[in-house]
Amino acid sequence: MTSKYETEPKGYTMTTVMQEAARCLLCHDAPCSQACPAHTNPAKFIRSVRFRNIKGAAETIRENNALGSICARVCPTERYCEKACTRAKIDGPIDIGGIQRYVTDMERKLNMKILKAGEPNGMSVAIVGSGPSALQAATTLLQKGYAVDIYEKNAKAGGYLTYGIPEYRLPQEIVDYEVQRILDLGAHITYNTTVGKDISMDNLKANHNAVIVAIGTSKAKMLPMFEHNICTESAISFLARAKENNGKLDDLPKNVLVIGGGDVAMDVVTTLKKLDVPYVTDVVYEQFDEFKASKKELAGAQAMGVTIVDGYVPKEVHQNRATFKHRKIDSELTITADKIILAVGQKADAEGLDLDLQHNEIPFREARFRTKDPKVFATGDIVDGDKTVVVAVQKGKEVAEEIDRLLGGQEND
Amino acid sequence: MIKKDLSVDFLGVHFENPFCLSSSPVGNCYEMCKNAYDAGWGGIVYKTLSPEHFKIDEVSPRFDELTKEDTPFVGFKNMEQLSEHPLDQDLADMRRLKEEYPEKVLIASIMGETPEDWTNLAKLVTEAGADMIELNFSCPQMTSHTMGSDVGTNPELCKSNCEAVKRGTSLPVLAKMTPNITSMVPVVKACLEGGADGFSSINTVKSIVDVDLKKKVGLPNIDGKSSVSGLSGKAVKPIALRFLQQLRSAAGLEQLPISGIGGIETWEDAAEFILMGATTLQVTTAIMQYGYRIIDDLTNGLMHYMEEQHVDHLQDLVGLANKNIVPTNQLNRNYKVYPKIDWDKCIGCGRCFVSCQDGAHQALTWDDDKRLPVFDKSKCVGCQLCALVCPVGAIKLGVVEMKPGRKGNPDEIDVGSQRLHRYHPATATQEN
Repeated sequence: MTSKYETEPKGYTMTTVMQEAARCLLCHDAPCSQACPAHTNPAKFIRSVRFRNIKGAAETIRENNALGSICARVCPTERYCEKACTRAKIDGPIDIGGIQRYVTDMERKLNMKILKAGEPNGMSVAIVGSGPSALQAATTLLQKGYAVDIYEKNAKAGGYLTYGIPEYRLPQEIVDYEVQRILDLGAHITYNTTVGKDISMDNLKANHNAVIVAIGTSKAKMLPMFEHNICTESAISFLARAKENNGKLDDLPKNVLVIGGGDVAMDVVTTLKKLDVPYVTDVVYEQFDEFKASKKELAGAQAMGVTIVDGYVPKEVHQNRATFKHRKIDSELTITADKIILAVGQKADAEGLDLDLQHNEIPFREARFRTKDPKVFATGDIVDGDKTVVVAVQKGKEVAEEIDRLLGGQEND
Repeated sequence: MIKKDLSVDFLGVHFENPFCLSSSPVGNCYEMCKNAYDAGWGGIVYKTLSPEHFKIDEVSPRFDELTKEDTPFVGFKNMEQLSEHPLDQDLADMRRLKEEYPEKVLIASIMGETPEDWTNLAKLVTEAGADMIELNFSCPQMTSHTMGSDVGTNPELCKSNCEAVKRGTSLPVLAKMTPNITSMVPVVKACLEGGADGFSSINTVKSIVDVDLKKKVGLPNIDGKSSVSGLSGKAVKPIALRFLQQLRSAAGLEQLPISGIGGIETWEDAAEFILMGATTLQVTTAIMQYGYRIIDDLTNGLMHYMEEQHVDHLQDLVGLANKNIVPTNQLNRNYKVYPKIDWDKCIGCGRCFVSCQDGAHQALTWDDDKRLPVFDKSKCVGCQLCALVCPVGAIKLGVVEMKPGRKGNPDEIDVGSQRLHRYHPATATQEN
């Protein structure tokens, strides 16, 4: 029997997806389609579903997004397309993510090969990292005829998709399926290879026309007072262990304190609940009305029985006993837990890559994904902008287009 | 719980309410009919009996449905013919039903091949205790051309069959009409001459509902083949209402007694049939989809409608709309009524704009910044397509204007309900 951790929620059936698609108002100049950072066109693919053209719907999604099956599951749609949905003015928005999941699941079932590699143009691009932005950049470049070599420090591709997002939100087989499609387009991935250590940047530059650094933010940030605390583990370490062990962790205590209120923190607390940890307390800097994680995830975590305390900052910690004080009112809170998980952000691990990061990022909007080295580009979470998968996809497409523009490749629409 | 008199008298038979099972799979044996009576149905047209020598042999599967978006059973295709039981067994079931439910109406449906069959069947069902006989001249999926809807398009044959039936019974006789004909009037007149007392209309519409795109065969697929057969359900309601009107507006047939059939699913459908001239009503498809229990809302909804209309006896509503359906050349073409957009209700979806541009007269344009339609009165013809496509009912009938050079007072023009196409309980009792 598959565990709660391994079970994703049920998707639509042909009948129920049609019911949801029939709710769509089929707006003129649909607001949902203007609200996707990655320029996905929900109005068009939902209309295709409504007119029973599932294959056409899959084409609309896939031609725009190499990670359509993944975005369908993890995109915070309530911030983008569903926030813009006109139907919300009547009752609630269309479940756009759910419909996209149905369509991309059908695409997979039907074994559709929608994306095609372009005519080889004799040029090649190396990509450091294989997270969502790297995978989208690789796809766009392959479509334009570039050869793509990806270097991944881990044993599997996907970055945070593989080593972060819990199985019940994003089954690994979905990530593997999306990666396989990109491999089928001709991408080559070298695993277990850290650029800057196992292979030099100079080597990549010498052998490729351009290099994209898409290393993400794989290192956990630490609050100084927790640095040498033996009861503390970082969120990304915990999530990676959970994912790699398929949720079978034998060191789980009964009472866990989580600190942080972003999407990663929500993944941690819900994972703990899925793994049957009875007491999960999450202390969050932000108050609920300024919460960083999506409202849907916050509500979901609370519904699973997570205690979320908002507005408190850590004051001191002694082993497994942490004291917080409220940001605005005179109030202190002390929690003794068996384990503390810190979800207070991540930073890039750019060792040996010779990048000038400012505040952990490369401002990209002005510099068009350029670094100080004219042959080296950056994308993904290390460049300015939202840290969601959908924005990573957008950046991946844009960096590929920028490289193509600079290398004078043929427009390949 | 509201209580109103739904009883009607039809061809001299008293019905506690007008709702009957039509002759079909839903009234196919004693148990089914008993359950329907117990559920509250006023009458049953028992599934058609045929002569002993005509063997019923059905296909499997035998149904198909027409869908739209997520809506099943928009239309329903049926290949069943007549009762497959031995004649004696059906007669015994009918006898028992009549004994146990003397107050309920039992109508026998019969279909013969020869005049002798018709006479004989009429005798048998009369002896079994039926209150009325319905002559099935209209089943479109019979395996014999001398039976079913081919007969129903032939006035002479219908007349002689009616005469044959009348030789075997003194019960009131209904002839069940096929819609697979341009006009029912000649057939109806022939039946009246042959002795028929009233009419059931419509039977199913000849159809092919779906084609299996892979196997390239109509559905249902019966060992690689399919056949034309009868369509029923909501999709045929407009056709049924049109035939009722055609009959009731023919010279000499204004008071024609009709049992209305065709896509009745809600009390609103029922009321429409009554207003269009039906005294009793027959239902199958909605029962096949939802069961006998739909009788609760059919009867209760109709009672509330009577209350709203200040009507004490259902019979008073029969045919009230017939006079308001006129030939198209008699309609008032001197005015147009413009749409009125309720900006508080508008949600800016743009559906009115799309339909006006592509399906009407380009009177609505689109403000990209505000995401709202912009109305150009000079181009509007008053077709009201915009109101029909609006998903939130924000568009209603607005200003009435006489066309240039036409006489008339716009204030005196009856533009009807403000809600263009749906009856709404909240406005039901208001004056228009």
